[in-house]
Amino acid sequence: MLEINNQYTLMKRHIDTEVLRAFFAGTLEDVVDNLPIHIIPRTRDPNRCCVYKERAMVRYRIMALLGVDIEKDDDEYKTLSSYVKESLETKTPVFPSLTTISPGCSSCPDEQYRITDSCRGCFARPCLANCPKEAIVFVNGKAHIDEKRCIKCGKCLGVCPFHAVIHVPVPCEEACPVDAIHKNEEGFVEIDREKCIDCGHCSRSCPFGAIAERSSLMQVAGMLKKKEEVVAMIAPAIEGQFPGSLGQIVAGLKALGFSDVVEVAEGAHITAAHEAEELQERLSRGDKFMTTSCCPAYMQLVDRHVPTLSELRSKALSPMGYTARLCAERRPEAKLVFIGPCLAKKIEAAQFPEIETVITFAELASLLVARDIDIKEMVVSQDDVHVKTYADCREFAVPQGVANSVIRRSEKPIQVMNINGVDQKTVRLMKTWTKRAPEAELIEVMCCEGGCLAGPGVLVNPKIANRLRQGANVATVGSKPLGGAKHV
Amino acid sequence: MGQKRVKVNICVGTACFVQGGADLLLYEDFLEPQLLGLCDIEGTSCLGLCKQDNSDWKAPFVEIDGTVYSNVTPKRLEELLREAVDA
Repeated sequence: MLEINNQYTLMKRHIDTEVLRAFFAGTLEDVVDNLPIHIIPRTRDPNRCCVYKERAMVRYRIMALLGVDIEKDDDEYKTLSSYVKESLETKTPVFPSLTTISPGCSSCPDEQYRITDSCRGCFARPCLANCPKEAIVFVNGKAHIDEKRCIKCGKCLGVCPFHAVIHVPVPCEEACPVDAIHKNEEGFVEIDREKCIDCGHCSRSCPFGAIAERSSLMQVAGMLKKKEEVVAMIAPAIEGQFPGSLGQIVAGLKALGFSDVVEVAEGAHITAAHEAEELQERLSRGDKFMTTSCCPAYMQLVDRHVPTLSELRSKALSPMGYTARLCAERRPEAKLVFIGPCLAKKIEAAQFPEIETVITFAELASLLVARDIDIKEMVVSQDDVHVKTYADCREFAVPQGVANSVIRRSEKPIQVMNINGVDQKTVRLMKTWTKRAPEAELIEVMCCEGGCLAGPGVLVNPKIANRLRQGANVATVGSKPLGGAKHV
Repeated sequence: MGQKRVKVNICVGTACFVQGGADLLLYEDFLEPQLLGLCDIEGTSCLGLCKQDNSDWKAPFVEIDGTVYSNVTPKRLEELLREAVDA
């Protein structure tokens, strides 16, 4: 999968920021049709075939930001300003959360193993000997792969002493854990909505930016601009995403215009306590194991692909669910916005009438930049000092963290196992669990490898996020080794 | 007399941080130890340059021995530091 920060994600943030700047200045409808030209000047050295294609892609990115389902509602005759008008009047519908941009799709060649010029045509021929399908043929003394026979097992790649075999994947297909993304008859990317679990792995791995998430950012910007009563519910992963302490991030959110900021770690405390109790109940009635229920992509994975596990998931709500209920009790009039690293959370949030909408950390970053709010310079006020009872639940964002929080709340010791990242292989493994129970009582599942800190909506490399979370000062964070004092 | 040390300030204002400045903070991982040993690197408050209206002058910014460079990537940082050390 691609690194969090690459030319595409940086461009995406740049576009979001420019759109938001114009929105807050009240000029968005007037300038939006010129924004692609402003962002991609003719003098730019393009990464795509030409600046004109890049401008077209900026246009699509703006449409995704406005919440348009590009797959369905792309109308080339329509101006961006009319899209802006429509989107500001209506609430962005939740489904589908991902949309494909077929003009951006590079129609990557099908996944294949290929033998390169480095093949020396050796005498031992381990590729030939190890191929289970006799797909290796020798032409002019060098190995070739007969594509009709090749089953893409990759054995030849592993045995070649010259590393002459390469694997050329289709990045989106390789990243999708549930085989939900393919090329259609025209050769462009298409998502199977019945199979998709909204994990966002495809959008993160496409190096052409052909899969976009439909954003609700403009909706949130609109609420802030109108000075409505809006509460930000911040996911446990937020710590370490911005150049400053958690208190400074909270202060920054308030400066943006959020009436209040609530840590979802508070709800995570309820989730963990519930799971600790529920696990003992289940074990005493004879269940072999229980899985966690806080990862929304995992929840959809079970619903759509591994129904045998549906009764073995904890009945606890996710931290977001409990936090939303707490907030709704405390401030019934306020609109709730969840800010997290996750795309699947949008789908989960749709089940909670309390929650208005969901945005990502990367989108929040664009809001901060557009409003010239500098997290590092924020002064932490006394009200932003946080409660300690649930502080340990900030660990929900990292692999093993959910399990640890449950262990701390459990009366008896429990055996745990963690699934750190779900891919096609893990899904196959999960399907066997009801036949052969895993050797653990509590199974923590996180769809993204590296936990929520590596979710599709994060802003920084998890390495930096981890150091900042361990209390490193942003001025010297680069020189701090991992494992500094925890400041909880 | 040892070699003079290069003073490096990486801007960690939000605008720079968001536009890839955060990755520069991984300098321990991508700079060679010999080079690293000759530089004093720190994160600094917003240098204020992101607010100028100049399309070529983009975040992230890095100040090396008093000179500010724009659009710095990890690769470019390494090049700039090499030049500064050799100078």
